[in-house]
This record gives sequence, structure tokens and C-alpha cells, in this order.
Amino acid sequence: MSTEVFLNEFAEISEHPYRILSQYKKEGKKVIGVLPYYAPAELVVAAGMVPMGIWGSNKKTIAHAKEYCATFYCTIAQLALEMLLDGTLDQLDGLITPTICDTLRPMSQNFRVAMEGKLPCIFLAHPQQRKPAFGLQFTMDQYQHIKTELEKIAGKTITDDDLRAAIKVMNKNRAARRAFVQLANEHCDVISAVKRSAVLRAAWFMEPAAYAEKLEALNAELAKLPAADWKGKKIVTSGIICDNPKLLQIFDDNKIAIAADDVAQESRAFRVDASEEGDPMMALAQQFADQDYDILLYDEHSEQNRRADFVVDKIKKSGAQGLVLFMQQFCDPEEMEYPYLKKALDAAGIPHIKLGVDQQMRDFGQASTAIQAFADVL
Amino acid sequence: MSIYTLGIDIGSTASKCVMLKDGKEIVAKSLIAVGAGTSGPQRAIAEVLEKAGKTEADMAYTLATGYGRNSLEDIADHQMSELSCHAKGATFLFPDVHTVIDIGGQDVKVLQIDNGVMTNFVMNDKCAAGTGRFLDVMARVLEVKVEDLGTLGSQSTKYVGISSTCTVFAESEVISQLSMETNKCDIINGIHHSVANRVAGLAHRVGVRDQVVMTGGVAQNIGIVNALQEQLGHTIHTSPLTQYNGALGAALFAYQKYLKEQKG
Repeated sequence: MSTEVFLNEFAEISEHPYRILSQYKKEGKKVIGVLPYYAPAELVVAAGMVPMGIWGSNKKTIAHAKEYCATFYCTIAQLALEMLLDGTLDQLDGLITPTICDTLRPMSQNFRVAMEGKLPCIFLAHPQQRKPAFGLQFTMDQYQHIKTELEKIAGKTITDDDLRAAIKVMNKNRAARRAFVQLANEHCDVISAVKRSAVLRAAWFMEPAAYAEKLEALNAELAKLPAADWKGKKIVTSGIICDNPKLLQIFDDNKIAIAADDVAQESRAFRVDASEEGDPMMALAQQFADQDYDILLYDEHSEQNRRADFVVDKIKKSGAQGLVLFMQQFCDPEEMEYPYLKKALDAAGIPHIKLGVDQQMRDFGQASTAIQAFADVL
Repeated sequence: MSIYTLGIDIGSTASKCVMLKDGKEIVAKSLIAVGAGTSGPQRAIAEVLEKAGKTEADMAYTLATGYGRNSLEDIADHQMSELSCHAKGATFLFPDVHTVIDIGGQDVKVLQIDNGVMTNFVMNDKCAAGTGRFLDVMARVLEVKVEDLGTLGSQSTKYVGISSTCTVFAESEVISQLSMETNKCDIINGIHHSVANRVAGLAHRVGVRDQVVMTGGVAQNIGIVNALQEQLGHTIHTSPLTQYNGALGAALFAYQKYLKEQKG
């Protein structure tokens, strides 16, 4: 299959995720909705079900969810609830609700109340202290709770062997995404910002094994191509999410390639693998403990500004000339982190812009002006 | 033979054109008080050509900028962001400029300039507070012409605080002040300080260095300029061409691009 055919397939899935949800249901599969962030999809796969990421929507507007949500909840969370209320996600068999930020914590209860008697909502509280032994134990206890609830939905017991097999699947899936991000930078003439996003976004909707297989095939095709002789600019993106094709098209129109990313929906989600050896539940807890450089995670060495240095290093290594920060409206963690990131970028002499975004935006005139001007600055 | 270039700035509230001769001399300019999505751009182009006694064919290079810059593909040879054009225009008018504050119809931009080149910038978020639209709304509520705000505000004798957070809240505050029969001039002065507060906050994010130049239609409002000078502690320079600054920058870039194309 040609690169173009693969890219079109990923784009189709990215653009119409709920068609694939219907397809899974027709095939008799059970599907579990997985909200951000760091939910162990391995447990869903081990139960023989399909994990489906829910990252809001670029097409819907908030109406029903207003009944439940404070106005300062981010649109990602509000639109997730909107889709649960308007019937878009009626075919789900369950929902995992992580609670890692101040919006998701109360939101988990909104989901539970709104879906009472309709959809099992599985609560997940990650520990703040994720690295010490007691933190690992807490994570394992939480994951055990999720495992038990998923077993009820699946009607089967998840064995250690099932979980080890699922870890292998997800590691393969993450490795393929990491390789793609690297190849997308080397072949940015073929992998535009819009196409790059579609490939990475499709990962949240496809069965992990099938996605990994398809992406590995695309990666193999990309690896055959000569490296791009790129005359445009390169940037690194940062933020929670930047998957709106209309917004990303502005980068392509201005010949700005995405060399790498520090985005929650993209690279932050597949940096760390789980061990394929030993106790699989401990392997998953350790995987969460090993996550790092994320604004949502507690950093006992925060005074060292390690995360910002990590982002600066990523920019330098990727060959990018600047950073574009997509600031999700009402995202407290990102807003509070910004001064530290700015400090490190300024110290390194790396230009950046901060674009305020939310998923109900339909007009990107101001963003277009800022991105075009940023290209001139670079 | 002289080279004529045309810069067209299609803003959200006005369409402006500047025609340059040999990249140095302003031959003609035009301004129509409606912008993107209206007949304004075509009328502004027709007017500037008529004033100069030229046709589109006489233009060696035409460059569009502003919010509606992408709507002129059949006329313009190229389009650029208005930030780059404002930096260019301001440097032409004030060679020692280091900070440009541009308050347009729907956004506020602060540009950092080094050696005539834009090196950093910041724009307002998606909010009308502090923009030309904010002043339009307030003028309507006060039943005065927006162009009279500067003169009226200078007659103020008492400070009246107006919210700098939100256009809707500020409008309610103005209505409330009017119902209490507060002097309109004092309210207008409060509005000017409200805009200055908002813009100064933005300007400090990129840093304010002399010379500070203010461009855009709002720079014609002496009340805002004075309030902003007070807030920033820097002298603010303006030009009679302030509204044409983006179009001027576009015409200058057009000349540069023409020369580059000629070189091959």
C-alpha cells in the first residue's frame, strides 16, 4: 500500500471515529471509553475489549453538558460529556474516568451522575506520589479496581498472561508512534501537520494491535523515502491537544513543519513503555511512576525546572527553530506552568508563541495572523 | 522608469491602501471605513488608483495584509501578516522604533523591533476588551462619535473607573454611570484608562523599549495615547499616517519583493 493510501485511511478514522465504533459493535466487540490521562489501556485490551480515547470534539458545541459543568471546565471535558449525553457515544460499554487534574476530578462525578443506570463509569485516581513503594501500591490498588470492573463488563477474568500479552501490544503500539514522530520530522514534505495529527489521533480510536500493524507498515514506506529537503520552518508543538485540521492547515499553508511535540494527546501519551517481565500489574504501576516531564504529574524536583529544560532540549534535538504552545482555555496546569516554560525558552533564545484555543473555536483568523507572523520571526 | 507598488490592508473595520513610488515616496492613499467581507477593499483599491491616475497594470507588485488578506488572491501578488507589515511601516516612519503598539478593530498587537526587524510579538486573546471594537461599543452607548472620544475625554475633571476585563461588563458599567448622571467626559476618560490598562499589561509581556510607536486607528485618540503613556512611563510616538501604517508596510514589502524577483 502506498504512503498516501495509509495516510488517507488514518485521516478517515481520525475524522470519523464513531463510524469505527459502530463497526466494532457490529463485529460483536465491547468498547470502553477512555478519558485523559494515563488510563491503563492495557487492562481493556487484556479483557478482550477495545479502548476508545475520548478527547472532546472539534465539531460539536456544548449544550447538554452545561447542565452539569461549571463554566471554567475545559471544553475537552465538557464535550466528552456532551457526546455521552447527545447519543454519540451510546454504543460504549463502559467508561474509565481518570482524575489527574482539577477539572477531571469533579468531572468524574458528573460523568457518574449523568450516566447513572446507562453506562458503567470506572473511577481512577492516580497517586500524586507515584514513585515510592506506597505510591506504586496505590496505583496497583486502583488498577486492580479497574480490572475488577472491566472483568464484570467483559464477562471474563483477566489473567496475568492476558495482561502480559496486552502490555506487549501496547508497547508495540507506542513504539510505532514514537518511530512515526521521528519519521514525520525526517519526511515533513510528505507528512504535513494535518496528516501527522490525523495519524496520531487515529491511535485513540483503532484497536491497538491493528493500529500498530498499520502504522508500522506506513513507517516502513516512509523509511524508504529520501529525507526531505525542507526549505520551510520547523517548530515543536506543546499543550494538551492540537488536533483541529483547520488550525493545523495554517501551519501547512505557511510551510511550517512540526518537528516534534510535547502534546498530551500525542507524544506525552507514548513516551514510556511497561515492562514485559515480572508481575504485569506492578509493571503498569511502574510505567505510570516512570512518566515524567508532564505538567499534570508531581515533580519533587520542580525547583530545577526540569520539564521546561526537557522541552528546550527536545526543540534543539529536533532541529526546530521555535515552539508553538496551544493553551487550552481554562487549563489551569498549563497556564500555571507557562511562566516556567517561557523562562527556559527565553534563556535558550528560542522564540515561541502562545495560542489560546478551545474545541468550540471555528474561526482561526487571529491564529492564522499569529502563526504567519511567527514564521516571519523565525 | 519609476516603480509603483501597492499595499492593501484589509482590516476587520476598515480597508486601507498605500501606493509607493520606488519604495520611498507615498504617491496616494485611500481609506474606506468598512473592512473584510465588504465592498471596502475594492473601493479602497479603486480610490487609490484614481487618486494616483494609475491602473492595476501599472503596479509592479501588490501585497495584501490584514484580517482579509487572503480574499484578494486575484489582485495581490502576495500576502503577509499585518504584524510584519506594521513593523515594516513603523520602521519606515520611525527608524529608531523598538516597540510598536497597534490597536486595531478587533485585536491588539505589541511588536518588539530590533534593527528594523520584528523579533517578538504578543497579541490579545479572543476578547474585544482593549480593541477598537470596544471603543465603538462604548461610543454607541454614550451616543457620541468614536472620533470625538479623544476630545471629550480630555475635558474630564474626575476619574471614573471602568472595568478592563470584559466589553460586556464595561458596557453595563457605562450604562450604570449614565443612569447616575455621571459626566460623559469622565466616563470616556475612564474608558480610555480601561483600554490603556489592558494594552499596557500586554505590552509588558514582550517588554517596552524606546522608541515606542503606536499605530492603527485608535492611535488617533489622544485620550488613549495619553493614558497609555501614563501607564507605560514611555513617550508614545504617533504619525498622521497611523491608520495607513499596515498598508504602508505592505507597499514597502511589495517593493522589496519586486526587487528580489527582478534579481532572479
